[in-house]
Amino acid sequence: MFNQLFGNIWLVTLASGAVIMGFLTVNALFLVWLERKLSARFQRRLGPTEVGFAGTLQTLADAVKLLGKQLITPRNADKPLYHLAPVIVFMPVVVGVSLFPIDRQLMFVDLNVGLVLVFAFAGIGFIGIFMAGWGSNNKYALLGAMRAVAQNIAYEIPLILSALSVTLLARSMKLSAIVEAQSTLPYLLFQPLGAAIYLIGAVAETNRAPFDIPEAESELVAGFHSEYSGMRFAVFFLAEYSNMAIVSMVATTLFLGGYHGPWLPGYVWFFIKVYGLISLMMWFRWTFPRLRFDQLMSFAWTVLVPLSLANLMGTAVVLKVFRR
Amino acid sequence: MNPAEVHPTAFIFVGLTIGGALLSVLLRNILHAVFGLGIALAGIAGLFLYLDSAFLAAMQVLIYVGGISVAMVFAVMMAHTLGRRELLVGRRLLAAIPALGLTFTLALVVLSSRFVGSTGVRPDEATVLRSIGKQLLTEFNVAFEALSVVLLLAIIGAIVVAKERKH
Repeated sequence: MFNQLFGNIWLVTLASGAVIMGFLTVNALFLVWLERKLSARFQRRLGPTEVGFAGTLQTLADAVKLLGKQLITPRNADKPLYHLAPVIVFMPVVVGVSLFPIDRQLMFVDLNVGLVLVFAFAGIGFIGIFMAGWGSNNKYALLGAMRAVAQNIAYEIPLILSALSVTLLARSMKLSAIVEAQSTLPYLLFQPLGAAIYLIGAVAETNRAPFDIPEAESELVAGFHSEYSGMRFAVFFLAEYSNMAIVSMVATTLFLGGYHGPWLPGYVWFFIKVYGLISLMMWFRWTFPRLRFDQLMSFAWTVLVPLSLANLMGTAVVLKVFRR
Repeated sequence: MNPAEVHPTAFIFVGLTIGGALLSVLLRNILHAVFGLGIALAGIAGLFLYLDSAFLAAMQVLIYVGGISVAMVFAVMMAHTLGRRELLVGRRLLAAIPALGLTFTLALVVLSSRFVGSTGVRPDEATVLRSIGKQLLTEFNVAFEALSVVLLLAIIGAIVVAKERKH
């Protein structure tokens, strides 16, 4: 998108990176406010009201506070891993956001293997979580990290399988082509089961309630980021809220028709769908109780994986019979 | 490829690969070594990307960086005594022999094979993807199916090993 403005590839990369980082920061500030507001309303409270209109500047004030906080490094921490972890967790998020078609002409990178890349970069984040848990040298952090990685690996499989059924329909892994194929009807109508599996998997991938055992506060303090303070903690938080945006962007692209919609411009539709899905995930968080770890794992392996495999095979058979 | 034609970005990836490999060999903490290996694998993904194969790069990241490295970290942690113990020097010398042998064999294979020169045409990634899929299910079908049988055996083996430890 910046190709017309700057010719140089390095400048383009730099400018795109800056735009994405800016978006991610604003996104996290907004989502933290939204989460606090929504959770308050679900519990018949008001939430933040004092700073700015309806408390909108509350998270900005929190961010300034976090910037000023002291950074504490545990004495027996595994220092290189401890310091690298927030970077490794955040880096793939920046790349992930750049892959989505926001409007017909508005996307940073359009690759033929865009869908594979999204999942590939999501995988790098797990290593960062592991580094954080191990580097902190704290049993709660380590337990949280192990839970997070086990859960993420388990739920990644149904997630990818349900996305694969969409590639069968669209006959492409190019995200812009998948969106274009839905110009008349969104794939949600052809893949209701796939979309449901994807949504469950997405909530689990972002480690949010009812799948938030990696940071179950009553058992594990704060899980893998227990020992992080100040801005380092904020980076984990930023990554978590950015990941919510990314999984919602994938769902919007795969099942909800991306930027397609009547009357309004494409990018408005894209963001309406993305933030609608995020609100749905927040609704889940404040409605459902947390699952136990073994329940969670057996649900992934005995229910979601077979269901998504059946969905993939069913899609392939139906396509083979009815197409051409 | 003529060295003069190589774009400087390629050297970043080569540096990442070699640096990561060195880290994984030289670091004494085994967990750090695994993360060094992760860096090397990511460097290889970058090289694939540089060579215009986005699909291979994505697969490299998905399987090796996100999958294999994480599995190795898991294995290190499950073998709890290994966690922070440092490797012995004598073992390293023992490990050097097969490593050198493998390097020698690989170098021999690479140097003795004839590479088809580049046609100068950038292949379209979509057609590459399609032909990979077609060839896997036609020409290389036997190898493809054999690989899946091997993987299935590995999974069954892992389950058997895990079950035995429980009792």
